[in-house]
Amino acid sequence: MPMVPAPSDSAVMADVLAAPVAGLLGWLVPGLGHLYLGERTRGIVCLVTITATFWTGVAIGSVQTTVDPRDRTLWFLAQICTGGNTLVAYAWHAIVTPNPSPDRERASQAQAALVVPHWLSVDVGVHYTGVAGLLNLLVILDALSRADGGPRGGAGGSRDRPKGAP
Amino acid sequence: MSAPLLALFTTSAELTGAQRLVLILPLCLSVAIIYKTTRLEDLREVPAAAAVLWVTIVLSMCAVGFGLWALFSIML
Repeated sequence: MPMVPAPSDSAVMADVLAAPVAGLLGWLVPGLGHLYLGERTRGIVCLVTITATFWTGVAIGSVQTTVDPRDRTLWFLAQICTGGNTLVAYAWHAIVTPNPSPDRERASQAQAALVVPHWLSVDVGVHYTGVAGLLNLLVILDALSRADGGPRGGAGGSRDRPKGAP
Repeated sequence: MSAPLLALFTTSAELTGAQRLVLILPLCLSVAIIYKTTRLEDLREVPAAAAVLWVTIVLSMCAVGFGLWALFSIML
């Protein structure tokens, strides 16, 4: 019986850490978890698609209103799944949005009653960024599954259904 | 960074109702691309599979919308 060399401690540690590191990287930058696992094309497709979707939403709705954890808490929970993108957008939001003081808030409410808000645009922007976050959650789960050696369809196969299946 | 590029992200776009509906198309395309990218092992199959899924999502949403509109019209 041939002798199989025992894996070194560092190799075992790398295997154990692969899933959490891939998940964390995938949260920070969409697709980075796949790039870390050596799935270069898949990672780049996820990176470009999710980042483009997120920032298209911010461009449609504006950074002041699209990423707002106070007014849109549930949507923010979806948006935060894109990690780095949302943190950058939220930092930008904090810079361009002045701190609300009671007087300023009353004045802005009075002004808001006079102007027609672009609520349609804001809604579309929030939907884009929220969906981008949920898509990144899917990508993170896929990276975790691949790091753990999850189900694969085989060479050239599909996880949708096995080749030749009815 | 140039000011027009910054202004793109700090002022909301003015959309009409029709433009709002059209913007569902790229969002559905993103969903289809990401879903198929994670599901298919052979990435060469992704463009065709994503296009089919995209058309399916859009037509299904149109069908649901039409059905609800018809129901709403009958009820009132």
